Amino acid sequence: MTDASDRRAAEERFQPVFSHLGAVAAYARRRGSRDADAVAAEVMTIAWRRLSDVPRDDPRPWLYATARNVVQADARRSARAAAHGAGEPGDLAPPPEIPELDPALADALRSLSRLEREALLLVAWEDLTPTQAARSLGINATASRVRLLRARRRLRARLDEASNGSHDETTHLDLETT
Amino acid sequence: MSDSIIVRLRRANPVPEVATAPGTELFARITALPGDSRLVASERRPQGHRRAIVLAFAVLAAVVLASTAYAVSHWLGGDVVKPPVTKREYSAAQKQLTLPPGYSWPTFRFPPDAENSVTPRGAGGGHAVMAAQWSWECYWVAAIRTHDDAAAARAHAALNALLAHNTYEAPAGAPEDWTPSPLPTQPFMVYAHDGGLEWIRAGYRLAAAGDATRIAQSCRANVPG
Repeated sequence: MTDASDRRAAEERFQPVFSHLGAVAAYARRRGSRDADAVAAEVMTIAWRRLSDVPRDDPRPWLYATARNVVQADARRSARAAAHGAGEPGDLAPPPEIPELDPALADALRSLSRLEREALLLVAWEDLTPTQAARSLGINATASRVRLLRARRRLRARLDEASNGSHDETTHLDLETT
Repeated sequence: MSDSIIVRLRRANPVPEVATAPGTELFARITALPGDSRLVASERRPQGHRRAIVLAFAVLAAVVLASTAYAVSHWLGGDVVKPPVTKREYSAAQKQLTLPPGYSWPTFRFPPDAENSVTPRGAGGGHAVMAAQWSWECYWVAAIRTHDDAAAARAHAALNALLAHNTYEAPAGAPEDWTPSPLPTQPFMVYAHDGGLEWIRAGYRLAAAGDATRIAQSCRANVPG
C-alpha cells in the first residue's frame, strides 16, 4: 500500500470518529468547559494522532474519556492561574459559560463521588448505555452498574431531603468537585 | 434506563442539543497533521513525527536502563552521562533561560531504579529548553485571550530567542542522535529535519497575527507541571 493510500485509509477511518465532534463539544459544555469547541478540536486531534486506539465500532466512550481528561486539565490550569492571581499564564480560557442547573439537582449531584456522578451523567446526558459508560470510565460493566445503582439511590435520597427546602440562586456543576 | 432520576436528569440536561460540527475545515486541519504512526506507513519513520526532537526529549524519555553502563556507553558512542550530570545540566540551564511570570521549573525525575541510566550529554539542557518553550507558549495563549499585547510581545520575543539561540535542526538524513558539533555551550535541543520546526515557526507566525489555535494545542499537549 502506498503512503497516499495509507493516508486516505486513515482519513476514511477518522471520518466516523470526527462525526462525533458536536457530541464531544456538547459533552465539554455540559461539564462546564469554558472553551468547549477548543476542547472538542483538541480531542479530535488526539483521536487522529492515536487513531489505532480509538475503537472502530463505538468511538464515543473513548472520545468522552479523552474529553474528560482535557476538561480536567483545563480546570487544573485555571485553578493554578487563580492561585497566582488574575491574568496569570494558566488563565487560558475566556469567561465561563457554565451550564446552569436546578440548585437542588446540582447539590445532589455534588454529593456523589466524581466517578458515580460521571457514570450517571454519561448515561443521562450523553445517552450511553451502562456498558459504554463503563468503557469510558475504564471500569468493568458490573462495577459500572453498581455505581449507577448507588448513584441513583443517593441522588434520589438527596433530592428527597431537599424537596422541602428552597434555593434562590441557580448554580452550576463543577467538574472538579468531589 | 428510564427511571425517574434519569428522566429528571435528562430534562435538566443543560446542553440538550448537540452543537453543529464546523465541518470540513477542521477535519482538513486535523488530518494535515501527522497521524498515528501505527496506521500510516509514511509516518512509521521516527523522523515523521511533527515534534520529533532528536536529542532532548525522545532520547531522554528513552533513558537507557543499564546495569552495565560501561557497555551501553560504548554502544551509544561514548558521549553519554549518568543522571547526576543530566540533572546538573538541567539546573545549569535554568540559570541561562527564563520562564514567564507564574511558572516554575518542572521537577526533573528519573525512574527510581535509574542510577545506572545513561543519556546523551546535553539532554538535561534540552529538557530545560523544552520546558521554557512550552511555558512561554502557554503564557502567549493566555496573553492573546486576555488581549494583553505587552505579554504577547514578550512571549513572542522569548520564543523567537529560544528558536534562534537554543534550537537546532538536524541536517536531512542525519541520525536520530545527531548533535551539533562542537557541542554548544548554551542549553539546546535538536529537531529532526522533518518540517516540525517549520510547523512550530508557522504556529508562532499565526499567534503573532492573533490566532492562538496552534500554540494552544501545543500548550494543552505539553503544559509543564
